Parts: sequence; structure tokens; C-alpha cells
Amino acid sequence: MESTQVVIIGGGATGAGILWDLSLRGIAAILLEQGDIANGATGRCHGLLHSGGRYAVKDPEAARSCAAENRIVKRIAPHCVEEVGGLFVQCPKDDPAFFEQWWKAAEVAGIESRRLGKEEAHHVEPGLAPDILGAFTCPDAHVDVFRLTLANLEAASARGGKLYTYAKVTSIDTADGRVRAVNYRDERTGERHKIACEIAINAAGGWAQTVAAMAGVDVPVRCDKGSLLVLNHRLSRSVINRCRKPGDADILVPAGPVCILGTSSIEVASPENLSASAEEIDALLRQGAIMIPEVAEARILRVFCGVRPLYVPRQTGTSAGREISRGFFLLDHGAQDGVGGFVSIVGGKLTTYRQMAAATSDCVARQLGVETECTTDTVPLQGAVDRKTHRLANRLLPAPVAHKLEIRLGPEVARVLDAIEARPELAEIICDCEMVTRAELEYVLGSEAHVPVQAIADIGRRTRLGFGPCQGTFCGYKAMLTAYRTHRWTASRAANELSAYLQERRKGQSFVHHGQQMEQLDLNCDLYGVDRPAETHNGAHDAK
Amino acid sequence: MQSRTFEVVVLGSGIAGLTAAATAARQGLRVALVATGPGSIALGAGWLKAESPSSSSEAPELSEAMAFFCELTRLAGCPLAGDFDHPRPMPNYLGSWESVAFAPQRLWSAAADEKVSTAIVGIRGLSIFDECFMAERLNEQVQVAGSPYSYTARQISLRHDFGIPATVLQIATCFDRDAAFRAELIDTLRHAASGFERILLPGILGLHSSDWLLAQFEAELGCSVCEIPTLPPSILGLRLFHRLQSYLHSSGVELFAGFPVHSLPLRQGMCIGVDITAPGHPLTLHGESVVLATGRRSAPLLAETIAGCDAQMRPLDATGAVIAQNLFLAGTLAHSGGGHSADTMRILSGYRAGKLAATTRGAYAS
Repeated sequence: MESTQVVIIGGGATGAGILWDLSLRGIAAILLEQGDIANGATGRCHGLLHSGGRYAVKDPEAARSCAAENRIVKRIAPHCVEEVGGLFVQCPKDDPAFFEQWWKAAEVAGIESRRLGKEEAHHVEPGLAPDILGAFTCPDAHVDVFRLTLANLEAASARGGKLYTYAKVTSIDTADGRVRAVNYRDERTGERHKIACEIAINAAGGWAQTVAAMAGVDVPVRCDKGSLLVLNHRLSRSVINRCRKPGDADILVPAGPVCILGTSSIEVASPENLSASAEEIDALLRQGAIMIPEVAEARILRVFCGVRPLYVPRQTGTSAGREISRGFFLLDHGAQDGVGGFVSIVGGKLTTYRQMAAATSDCVARQLGVETECTTDTVPLQGAVDRKTHRLANRLLPAPVAHKLEIRLGPEVARVLDAIEARPELAEIICDCEMVTRAELEYVLGSEAHVPVQAIADIGRRTRLGFGPCQGTFCGYKAMLTAYRTHRWTASRAANELSAYLQERRKGQSFVHHGQQMEQLDLNCDLYGVDRPAETHNGAHDAK
Repeated sequence: MQSRTFEVVVLGSGIAGLTAAATAARQGLRVALVATGPGSIALGAGWLKAESPSSSSEAPELSEAMAFFCELTRLAGCPLAGDFDHPRPMPNYLGSWESVAFAPQRLWSAAADEKVSTAIVGIRGLSIFDECFMAERLNEQVQVAGSPYSYTARQISLRHDFGIPATVLQIATCFDRDAAFRAELIDTLRHAASGFERILLPGILGLHSSDWLLAQFEAELGCSVCEIPTLPPSILGLRLFHRLQSYLHSSGVELFAGFPVHSLPLRQGMCIGVDITAPGHPLTLHGESVVLATGRRSAPLLAETIAGCDAQMRPLDATGAVIAQNLFLAGTLAHSGGGHSADTMRILSGYRAGKLAATTRGAYAS
């Protein structure tokens, strides 16, 4: 039986951040994730690194912590962040009093902002609706959520942190009022394993309630579903927020070659089997078009849904948990439920993941008697690429391909370049949208990668392959052949993985009922015989 | 603005549009074929899947349409053969067997039920095709079926440098243009195929190759050669498209290719023209009949939304009224069901629309 000091349950940004934080403090930890990394809320959000502007009026404390974390993440993980900046747009329909409130609140929260007149706003963001009144700037940014999670895991792994993906926690052993071990099932092989530990951390997001119940603890989590649309092209240069009380479809984030519009907010029973209705999608498009009219005619590549795991303390008189901020809650179940060595971290936002990880790790370190302070706010997650490697990358690959590769792999890029030098055929571009080379694919499939790949979709989360307009129709096939050629998969496994991948991609497109993406979908169906989604114009579309 | 007049104008060069144009041309009419690019036929495998007609009442006309289409392909130098009652399993790019009813005659020897020893030959640098993957997959499945014949993977290297990666388009273009390359390919293949009765290759044997040329190639090689379609660009689909298009051209159909149609003006229940956007010289084609075979997804050319079509293949609006008397639908537009229709149904609707366009032409001319 394996044993360690800490087991972390959940491979989202928070869990990954905790693994990194603990490994910096020299605490041995193993992270268990039931699927692939960033499979829950982390991988299903806008990828907006909040400046705090969104919460400035309603929740000054959350705004302040967002503003601080925004600066920290830009410093420790510049390779995951695209500093596009943001605008809070004043629409004629919205309350002008709120605009002034926002302006004052932003100053109080320490959010850098400039007031733009109508003309100036159109100058910096020509796609804005002609009738807007003006805008405020803010330091919003786009963060690649998969990259960020991966960067934490890779950095932790280099320092001895361990992680197992496709490892679903099945039960937690407790004895004498303490957690003793965590049991999990390998979802790929069906094998069951046990890890003895001193402390278990529940960072399972939408699944936190289920995990807590395994230790006999009640952690009420409400799942609030948000649906988001991926639109072809970047319809704006910066993050576009609507300057009003946060509501539906009022954020548009430019993300790589696409942009993401969202979100709705609907309470659901479970974080699994989510779907978006046609009405929901139409409402998103309608609302989005108020700020950026082009949204109405954009090609929708995909819809996806995620849940915000909201923690709702039960009203039991005394405080249900230690409230750290309005944003997130750290629950020490030893102190409050009599289950020692068990900690839950719930609520929060992607932007404050590091702060959540730091608070959790502080609590765990204290319990373990480790005095090392948190240093995740200063230690960069990825080293820099040296000049020699940079020059080599630009010699072997076209400049934009080299640039993306450096961003994704950091110093590890040297391994990929070595491989291309030895076998020039590896310079082939497999995914044209995200410019992924065969060499990079072989690297993420290989044993040197810190986070193993088990499926074609996992490759996407490492490299963004298949995130563009073809949605995997061509690059998925090539990735499948690559996995076969590197002897990772047998031919029949490879064919099955492709079929599973295409089914999964199709689900995200099944709501599409018009335009060019439907043509793409038809092609996909004709090529692979993937089930064609029912074509209706009014009914609800099942977009699980 | 320049304008030209035809008896029948066909929009779209997918399988339905090509069939409609050929059907009308067969009646001796002046036909124009307008298309922005190759239609969906060029994306496909160059064969027709075994999908039976949607209703038995359509069966006789479908047989007639298929007979016409097969004859058309014969005249075009790429004869298709087969029938609905005897579909056969053909290998596709997933290494699975696909049930196929009509295929290029020469391709049939690739079918699973041909009991011969087979080499699957890949080409170094052509990364879209993996012979080992293909052989492993096909072997798994023939073993299931209890066949004693197995597939063996072989790779050849060509002297010609196609760069990284090589594409099927590059190789096929070279095959079309360069007799020395064909000779080299035969030599290399002969070596790789020694001891085998049949070789399967990725589709690379020319974008324009006639059946006659491929027969020559096979004869020189001394064993049967079949191609496996790749993902688009699929040479087998493109070849069928090119052969049909050239045949139509040679039989008098005028082609207007490369520029989009931007509108179909209607007046008094008639389609009075086809406006083509060509930079510098906009063009209007007048047709006594117009066949619309542009597929469901192309930009709507009519002001009215097409809600269906009547027995005469004419488009209907939401109230059930005919949108234009001299306009006929073919291909996916002619089918009420969602998505793409089966190729054979596209041929049927193209055939029908072509005939109707030809017979009713002039009937409404003012």
C-alpha cells in the first residue's frame, strides 16, 4: 500500500495549486483526479482572470482579492496569461447610477481603471455597439485554464508531488476520529488502490459534497450551471464586460483564436450530465449582441456547460465554517465535525485559486507541524526559455509555431526540438488551428510528460489540439495515428479512442442548427458515421 | 452587365447538380453548370454506400436514375458498378469495413470478400495514411470473420521529395503529370508487392486518371491494385468529380466555376436570372429552367425560405405555395429530412430535377 502525508482529491486549478504549494513546503502529497485534469469547473469557465471589476460594487472584499491575485498570476504564470485588458461597457439600457458606483468602487478595491468616452471606447474596441455610452478600462486578462492547471501540476511533479488521473475516489477510511486512508479505483483498468495518509484535502469542486460524505461530513454544495459559447474568431480585442450588476451573458473573453461568451446561471442537481437548452443559447447570443453586435452572426463552434460549486452553509446557529472571504470557504473538519485530518476547500473562483491553495496549505502545514511559509506568490511556475533554445526553435519551426510551442512547454521545449532535429518529419503540423506539431504530440504522449495522456481529449487539454473550427475532424484522426505510431495504443484501442473523442466533440456541437459549423458537422458525420444530431429549430437541444 | 441565355441553368456541382446537368444535356439542351467549387462528391470516397431507397415507390425510378448515373460514369471514363441488393464490404480510413453498393469498377477488388493475399502499402512521408494501423485493424476483423487471408503492411520510399508531410494531392498531381513518376511508382510497388496477389494503396493514383490509364498501370505492375480513400482531400472523390465535370464540358455543358451566385431574382413566380459575382465583370445567366442543387447550408439565395418541395420538385414557401414555377430542387434541398441525404437519393433527385427542367422548359416562358 502506498502512503503519503497528504492526499488531495480533485485535479482542478485549486487541487493542482495545493499540490504545488505543498511540494514547495516539502510536504509529500498525492493528487487524485477522477478524470483528466481540469475536468470540472476549471475547464468549463470563460478563462477570465478577473481584475476584480466584476465584483467591485457588490463584493468589495472579493474584488480586492481578485485584484491582488490578478497581479500575482500574471507574475508567476505569464505563459498562461494573455494580457488583453478589459472594458466595462456602459450600455444605454443600464442604470447610469451604477456606472458612477462602479468607478468609485474600482478605486477603493485598487483596480486600475481609466474612463473612456464613447469615441475613445470605439477607438480601442471598434466592435462595440454604436449606441454604447462609454467604458471603463481594467486589467482583465485571459488565462489558459488547462495550461495553468498543468503548469501547477508539472511544477509540483518536478518537486516530487505525485498525481494520478482517472483515479476516482471511492471511499475514505477513518478511525479514531481521523482520516487514515483514501481508496480509489483506476477508471481505466478497474483496479482498486489504497493510499494511507495523515490528511485528506477535499478540493473536488462540484463533487465536494459527495467526497465529504465519504468521510461522514456534510458539506452542502449548490451546483449553479453556466453555459458558454465558443465563437469563431476573436470578436473583440479585450475582455468585454457589461457595466451593470453581474447578470447573464455579459462577459466576452478573447481566447486564443476564438472567443468565449457567457454565461447563464441555472441551479442544477448534479455537476454531471449538463446540457444547454436552445433558449439558453439564444438568450446568450441576444444579450452578447447588445455589447458586440457581431456576436449575432458569429459561427458558434461549440457550447459547453460547467457548474459553479457554491458553498451554502447550513443555518445551524454557530458559523458553519471559517469564512475567509465572501469568495471561498476553508472547512477544517477536525475542529468543526470531529473528523481529524480532513479539510475541504469550497467555493471561490479560478482567479483566486492560488489564494485558496495557500490558505488550505497553511492549514495543512500547521496540522503537520511544518513551519515553511507559502511562496507560491513569488516562485514562477515555469522557467524561461534560454536564448539558444529560442533561436533553435525559430530555425526548426515557423515563427508562430515556435512561439506557441515555447509558451506551452517552456524550457521543456528543448526536448521537442531535439526530437525534431533527429527526425525532421516530426515538424509536421497536426493541428492547424493551434499549430501543434507531431513532435509536441509525441512529447505529451511520451513518458517524459509529467501528466499522462489517456485519451485524445486529454491531448487537447495539454496542447489545445482540436479546439479550433474543425473540432477534431482532421487533427483528431492524425492524433489517433500518432498515438498508434508511438506504440501507446493498439490499432483497435486507437480507433475506439477516436470514436469516443468524436462523440464527445459532437455533443458540444449538437445544438448548432445553422451556418457554417453545421456544414462542418455534416462533413464530420459523413466522414466518420458519427450520429447526426437531430435537426430541430425550436426544440431543446441536448448538449451534454 | 454581361448576360447569357441557356435552356437549363444548374447551380451546384455536387453529385445532384452534376446528374441534373447531365440529364438535361442528354436531352440535347443548352446547359450551364454554375458552382463555386467542387461539391460534396469531392470530399467522399468515390463510392456510394448501401442505403436503400426511402420508399419502395421510389425504387423503379431510383434504378433508372442509377442506371443513368452508371452509364454517365462509364462515358466519363470512371465506370461505377454495383447494385443495391449486393453491397460488399470495402475498407475505409478507419480500417473498418463499409457496406458499399456502387464503386468504381476497379476498386471492387479491394472488397473484404476477395480471398487473396494482400499487401497494404504506405508511402514514406505520407503521414495521413498508416499501413500498419490499417493492416492491424483489417486483420483483427478478418480473423473475426474466420478468413485465412491476412493483410501485410509494407512501406515504400519514393525518390521524389514531396516535403514534410507529403500530401495525397501532391502525389496524385505528380502521378497525373509525370510519366517517369508513374514508372518509378510501378517499379517500387512491384518490389514491395512481390509475393502478393493484391495491393491496397492510399488514394493517390491521379486526380484525373481514367479507368483505362489505371488498367494500364495495373497491367504493368502485374497484380491488382486498389486504393483506400483517405480523409479529405480524397483523391477518389476528386477523381470522380473531375472525370464527370470534364465529360460534361466535352458534351457541351458550359461551366461557370469559381465565383459565387449572389442572388436569384424572382418576378411573377418565375426565376428570371442567376446573378454571378465575378470580380470586374458581373454576369447574369438566364435559364428557361433553373435547378437549385446548392445544398442546405449554402447562403440562402432566395428571398423566401424553402419549406419543402412539390411532386414537380419545385420549392414551396411556408404557406405551401410554389416559390417559382421554373425552379427545381435537387440534392439535399429536395429532401425534407435533416442533414445530408444518401448519395443515391441525391442522384435520384438530380435525375428527376434534370428531366423535369428539360420537359417543362419554355412552358411558362412569357
